[in-house]
Amino acid sequence: MADIALTNVSKSFGEVRVIDDLSLSVAAGEFVVFLGPSGSGKSTLLRMIAGLETIDSGTLTIGGRQCQALAPGQRNVAMVFQNYALYPHMTVRDNMAFGLKNIHMASDEIARRVNEAARILEMEALLDRRPSQLSGGQRQRVAIGRAIVKEPAAFLFDEPLSNLDAALRVRTRVELAELHQRIRSTMIYVTHDQTEAMTLADRIVVLNNCRIEQIGTPMEVYSNPASRFVAGFIGSPAMNFLKVELSGNDEAKLARLGDGSKVDMNIRVPASGSYELGIRPEAVRVSERADTTSGKATVVEHLGDRTLVYMQLADGTPIIAQDGGRSQVSPGDVVNVSFDTSELHLFDADGKTYHADRQDA
Amino acid sequence: MTADAARRANLVGALITIFTVICAVVWCFPLYWGVISSLKPEDEVVRPYIELWPETPTLRHYVFALTETQIGTWYINSIVTAVGVTILTVSSSMFAGYAISQLRFPGRRPLWWLILASFMVPTQVLIINHFVLMANMGLLNTWAGIILPQLIHPVAIIVYKQFFDQVPSDFREAAVMDNASELAILFKVYVPMNWGVTTALSIVTFIWAWNAFLWPFLAVTKTEMMTITVGITQVWDAFGVYYARQLTAATLAGLPVALVYLLFQRRVTQAITLSAGIKG
Ligand SMILES: Nc1ncnc2c1ncn2[C@@H]1O[C@H](COP(=O)(O)OP(=O)(O)O)[C@@H](O)[C@H]1O
Ligand SMILES: [Mg+2]
Repeated sequence: MADIALTNVSKSFGEVRVIDDLSLSVAAGEFVVFLGPSGSGKSTLLRMIAGLETIDSGTLTIGGRQCQALAPGQRNVAMVFQNYALYPHMTVRDNMAFGLKNIHMASDEIARRVNEAARILEMEALLDRRPSQLSGGQRQRVAIGRAIVKEPAAFLFDEPLSNLDAALRVRTRVELAELHQRIRSTMIYVTHDQTEAMTLADRIVVLNNCRIEQIGTPMEVYSNPASRFVAGFIGSPAMNFLKVELSGNDEAKLARLGDGSKVDMNIRVPASGSYELGIRPEAVRVSERADTTSGKATVVEHLGDRTLVYMQLADGTPIIAQDGGRSQVSPGDVVNVSFDTSELHLFDADGKTYHADRQDA
Repeated sequence: MTADAARRANLVGALITIFTVICAVVWCFPLYWGVISSLKPEDEVVRPYIELWPETPTLRHYVFALTETQIGTWYINSIVTAVGVTILTVSSSMFAGYAISQLRFPGRRPLWWLILASFMVPTQVLIINHFVLMANMGLLNTWAGIILPQLIHPVAIIVYKQFFDQVPSDFREAAVMDNASELAILFKVYVPMNWGVTTALSIVTFIWAWNAFLWPFLAVTKTEMMTITVGITQVWDAFGVYYARQLTAATLAGLPVALVYLLFQRRVTQAITLSAGIKG
């Protein structure tokens, strides 16, 4: 395992500059997830580390060694592809051994590593099969096995679970987390699925438009999103965004929602005026009294442990509130809600973000 | 579907079947006639009416062809040149198709256009040049002289390029991450992933080279260097034409191709569809 550092790297495809002066470091043994919507540059960044895309300028070090000019095979990293890319004409064993044979490793060492990887991934019985004789989940394992046998400095995964069905995806996710616990290798994992990012990552790198929006632990990006984009991208259902007018003095600010109701803010912002207020559905609680405001329920989703109430405020602003699992709310009801004011975020027009002071913070 | 419509559909189906059967018979009859005539004595062959079966079947023409002519030598010449053409064409096309499909090098596009353009030039146009070239190189009446001009076979390159283009780039990238050299990527990944193409191309190239007539006919003047297609034109003697003998030689010449076809029927059809798709 090794640390990885990208320093001031840039990348253009023809005239289009997709990665511009980006720096990022990954600690040895860390599980880092690149999270972002499609086209945000996650794969490009990962492939630059792998060597499948050239780095136009800047440096890449892996384990302290400058790698930006090395061929992919010489960087000592292993990649797991989205479509697995298992060689269809080779058995599982040969698929795993291919990379080792190419560097002329002794055959007893190859056999040892292949058997070891098969043991770790519990697929000893599959070694003599062809990829076409395997299920999707098994192919996924072989793809990971092919990476493990290289004993690489780092593992690179590009959306490895996106071809699996939902149940298998959850199971494989857990297995990947276990694998990381066990072999403690550096792993970089690309996904657009925030659940995968939240559950697997030591740190998440949120990408948008080929720029880093935020780097932080899953809880940091969830609780203290660095930008309006991160706030909206992470969390399901998404954070509520409400246009507000801020008034009052420095100590006590008052936010006026579109429907005229007022919210006490314990956020320090430099100026009054127009802002966007962000609050997650779980901080908008259905309540007895209209502590904050009220609105009309349009859709009610019972999730078992909790209930999501999609509602409209008097001025038509949509907002999602949360209620207990045995909620009595039905569509058409007028519902009172109260905001948890320690869970408020403000976004100004320049992209600055302010978070509520929390008791625990 | 009403009963009426069904009956009409059946009728159309039946008509089509009858038509194809007739076509097949028309197409097969000369073959049948050739083989059957080679089993007839010469005087039966020239009778003015059609006899579908020999009155007195005989193998004497086969005995003649196999003992009195140099057919054994011609066979060897045909095998050597056809196999040589096949191996050289398929392997060089494999490399060329891979390079044009997968490698980025200066001049790749012009090279590709050149190959496509050479596909438009019929061999007959070049045959004089080939003759002069081979003569200058002293290769007339040699196996190499027969083989070399037959290696111009752009379709094989085009077919390989098309198939290699269709291999998802993931495989190449996986192999690159696996430290594979370009040769290893070609021979351990791309070619094995497209075995069907290689076998199909080998079979058609072999059949095509075996049947080649015009060039071997020009390139060779010595009887002992003739391929079988050229050699069978030599089965005559001073007293005139012997149809049964000629047909016997033709049957013997066609035998290996018929065998190849029977053994690899499905592959051949596939190959013809492949190259037809390209020519299309
Ligand atoms: N080979 C390429 N040529 C041109 N543009 C590319 C190429 N690969 C990626 N891009 C562009 O780079 C941007 C980032 O792409 P990518 O890294 O694949 O995003 P992601 O993996 O986050 O979906 C996109 O705008 C995409 O169109
Ligand atoms: Mg991608």
